[in-house]
Amino acid sequence: MAIKSLRIIASTLAVAGFASHATAQTVSEINIVLPEQPANLEPCGTIITNVGQILSRNVVEPLTIIDPTTGQAEPGLATEWTQTDPNTWRLKLREGVTFQDGTPFNAAAVKFSIERMTGGKVTCSNIAKFGAAKLNVTAVDDLTVEIASDTPQPILPTLLSVVMVVSPNTPVDKAVNDPVGTGPFKLASFTPQTVVLESFDGYWGDKPAITKASYVWRPESSIRAAMVETGEADLTPSIAIQDATNPETDFAYLNSETTAIRIDAGFAPLDDVRIRKALNLAIDWEGLAQLFGDDAQRASQMVVAGINGHDDELAPWSFDAEQARALIAEAKAAGVPVDTEIELIGRNGIYPNGTEAMEAMMAMWQDVGLNVKLTMLDVNDWLRYLQKPFPEGRGPNLLQMMHDNNKGDAAFTIPIFYTSSGSYSTVSNTALDKEIADAMAATGSDRTTKFKAIFNKVHDELALDIPMFHMIGYTRVGTRLDWKPDITTNSEIPLANIGLKG
Amino acid sequence: MTDVTLSSVKSSGNIRQLAIYLTRDKLALCAALFLILVIATMLLGPLLVGEVAGKLGLRQRNMPPFSLDNGLIYVLGADTLGRPILARLIVGAQNTLGIAAAAVSCSMAAGGMLGLIAGYSERWYSHVILRLADVIMSFPSLLLALIVLYTLGPSIMNLVIVLAITRMPIFIRTARAEVLELRERMFVSAARSMGASSARILFRHIAPLVLPTLVTIAAIDFATVILAESSLSFLGLGIQPPDFTWGAMVANGRAYLASAWWIAFWPGLAILLTTLSLNILASWARTVADPLQRWRLQSLRKAVR
Amino acid sequence: MMLGYIGRRAYHSIISLIGLLTLVFFLTRLTGDPSALYLPLDSSVEAREAFARLNGLDQPIYMQFLHYLQNLLSLDFGQSLRQNRSAIEVALEAFPATLKLAVVAMTLATALAVIVGALAAARPGSTFDRIAGVVSLAGASTPDFWIAIVGILVFAVGLGLLPTSGTGSVLHWIMPIAVLMLRPFGLLVQVVRGTMISALASPYIKTAHAKGMRRSKIIFGHALRNSLLPVITVAGDLATGLINGAVVVETIYGWPGIGKLMIDSIIQRDFTVVQSTILVTAVAIFVVNIAIDLVYVTLDPRIRY
Repeated sequence: MAIKSLRIIASTLAVAGFASHATAQTVSEINIVLPEQPANLEPCGTIITNVGQILSRNVVEPLTIIDPTTGQAEPGLATEWTQTDPNTWRLKLREGVTFQDGTPFNAAAVKFSIERMTGGKVTCSNIAKFGAAKLNVTAVDDLTVEIASDTPQPILPTLLSVVMVVSPNTPVDKAVNDPVGTGPFKLASFTPQTVVLESFDGYWGDKPAITKASYVWRPESSIRAAMVETGEADLTPSIAIQDATNPETDFAYLNSETTAIRIDAGFAPLDDVRIRKALNLAIDWEGLAQLFGDDAQRASQMVVAGINGHDDELAPWSFDAEQARALIAEAKAAGVPVDTEIELIGRNGIYPNGTEAMEAMMAMWQDVGLNVKLTMLDVNDWLRYLQKPFPEGRGPNLLQMMHDNNKGDAAFTIPIFYTSSGSYSTVSNTALDKEIADAMAATGSDRTTKFKAIFNKVHDELALDIPMFHMIGYTRVGTRLDWKPDITTNSEIPLANIGLKG
Repeated sequence: MTDVTLSSVKSSGNIRQLAIYLTRDKLALCAALFLILVIATMLLGPLLVGEVAGKLGLRQRNMPPFSLDNGLIYVLGADTLGRPILARLIVGAQNTLGIAAAAVSCSMAAGGMLGLIAGYSERWYSHVILRLADVIMSFPSLLLALIVLYTLGPSIMNLVIVLAITRMPIFIRTARAEVLELRERMFVSAARSMGASSARILFRHIAPLVLPTLVTIAAIDFATVILAESSLSFLGLGIQPPDFTWGAMVANGRAYLASAWWIAFWPGLAILLTTLSLNILASWARTVADPLQRWRLQSLRKAVR
Repeated sequence: MMLGYIGRRAYHSIISLIGLLTLVFFLTRLTGDPSALYLPLDSSVEAREAFARLNGLDQPIYMQFLHYLQNLLSLDFGQSLRQNRSAIEVALEAFPATLKLAVVAMTLATALAVIVGALAAARPGSTFDRIAGVVSLAGASTPDFWIAIVGILVFAVGLGLLPTSGTGSVLHWIMPIAVLMLRPFGLLVQVVRGTMISALASPYIKTAHAKGMRRSKIIFGHALRNSLLPVITVAGDLATGLINGAVVVETIYGWPGIGKLMIDSIIQRDFTVVQSTILVTAVAIFVVNIAIDLVYVTLDPRIRY
């Protein structure tokens, strides 16, 4: 009797439950669940993952788009470009485009957007890719723009993929939470619980199959996976590997992040190349790979395949504990202080299983006879070690880090890591500096060859760091959507690429 | 008549008497035995399985429990780095219980003392103590942990300090509430009229009456402190690897609840059983200590000595 | 006289509030420079300096404090670094969600705990008492995220009875409230039981019994009223704890409450929002504490301040 009434109560609840979330959702409206809430929706911050995944190519569009397979710049809001001199590029703009507030898209709007980005009154994260370059934009005519820089810019079209064009009515002196762009969707609402995008009828291109997208956020991966499973959400771009258990809905993708350990080569014993090689050889790479899943690729350089400069032939270090011990013994005999305590600095939450990886690597290094101690730091603390100026009073240290480059060219990686003035760099090698400068100024296949040579030298000859893995992201896609992730998924999820099945 | 009641407390068979009371309450007996077991593992554990608890076994990552393929030590399964959970439970007992006991006893002692003073006197310092309690309550514990760890470094001592401070307000306010009520009772005015000083009244007469409630709260606070340390570990602010506690083990298992439930389950169960035992014992001790209730544990057949 | 008391408490509370805010202002700035967190990792040093200048972070700390005080007078609590809008607006927007959860959870927990605790105290050592004790303690000692996630896996994914997370319908409230209630319920049952057992052993209860008064009237009419003081204190402390930290529930179930906001702001070093959220929760906590003190007087006429 009690059980019967329990069943009645349960089914009434179930019916009531379904009745209340049967808010008429038409087929072309979807729900996406993200791992984190976007703090703001400033279009100049689209390189921040959760802002970019909502805005990029949905609400605002860039001047050029990077092709995920070739790494080359393709037309976006700019249709053609020529380099008129080493410092200047001339772009032709797309015709017939209007902003979501009715203003026409033209050269003046592009000039406005770029000046807003570089003006310094708004904190613009996207501009980081441009380094210290100063840009001067002139509107030659309504649909032609000239961008001049004070330094040579061989890959400006690639850089322009982060320039999101916004309506000239956007405030110049403060960040906005209601961006107006040229994309196929306009921002309908932004609350602490959800962001809603709705179709923009005046879009210049093909109308996407999706008419409305609601974004929510849940920090726990198991909840995101559960939401797609129950149908509460249709898509989640990021779940942990242990929740990706259903091959019908869970898809892996290379997410352009490379994990590594940076060696602070300025301190003994890390200044000896034998010790650096031993650090690479002492790790049981196959065992460590268990932490990151079968799809994670062993890395030999700090960029993934598809980036201009990646050398497919460069083989990564393999596991050879004997060789490692031999190298250490050799160094010790030569007077290198191999027993000095080396600090392994980890960062909490840097990537899934990051702390476990550090504990494992520390144990492996201790096993071959090195004196390694682990310290896990908060991101703010860790940042002091990542970038110059480095903290005073530090000793020999190894830094857990991850590098993201999905802009198609090794120029976003090599200088920052390996030149004497590079912000992350702990080396000071003038010969290497010269090689890098040459490569940066080169173009075409010469550029590619030079970059490859640098990666080879850094890896085989100098062993300047310990590349770990090219990381894999996992997505879960509900059965009514037709979509697969690719290398750009970490930065953007264009709704136009999502199809509806059946 | 009065002699009989007095001697029952002071006789040399005191321990024996306690043991008899313990056997009368079966549940309390189980609790006591369990706690003795835990203390034993705390003392002997690291010697016996210390090495195994730290050894990596990447190929046994997340191994499920209840299979004897890899030996008895893996019977509870393996964690995210392939280390046997049973061994880690045994070794982790020391840190877990040490930190929790230190934090709870510090906050109970300090908070209880401050609460007694705040409740009994009406001078300016009693108001200050209450406002202090309010301020501590409003200061988020995470922020305090971050500040202490950032400025003073992540050591076990600093962790205990943070945990003790955040738990103090409840002891202060509870002690104060009880004192507010007790100080109006007749025995207090009687003592005062006999010339007893405030301090004497407070510590000799009132404090023992406040203690049972504080102990009840402290026994559950044990679990709260362990779980608070677990939340701090989840954010990376708790005990630092390679040291660990049961709470840290539970935090590690959070991402695996759907796929490898045993990683968080066993340490969680250990926390639960330990807290349960502590609480049962605390409630038994309360019965023993209160002369009006001791009869529940006494046999009707023999005469009370 | 009561009004005078409230006035004095309000005055003291404002002083504590100012003290708290000053403390928070200086201590949070000890946790490092936020510029590093708001810009991409590969930003140049100049970009970081520009950010610091833009947000007034490059000035010496006492200057920043003076500006902060000046702004406070015109009720300007600063801009959120993360969200680019008024910090106090962000905090006040998030508060109602947490308040709703806390009020419902505490009311249910206290009501249930009083009933269960009183019934358990009426017959100590009985089966009901044992089971109630074990169940309530289990609830209080289990990590809340464990119950939340397992609850979602069982009730939402497995049985399909409830939604996984979010707000909206009544069904969305069930699991968050259930999870939030557990620790307060567990602790309160123990406290109620403890104080009630002591109260029920007093002579006046025996008199009432001898007079032939009904059992339920004795328990709920007399004994309960006299043991409520510590219960109210503990309940108040738990309530303020909930206001501060329904974090886990808000995180897992996606409720945009002030607990999660505070944690995120602390981790992200969004100082103005940290200060605003602490201000909002502190006011709530101080109000609750004053209310509790007033309840003491209502319950026990012997108490005077």
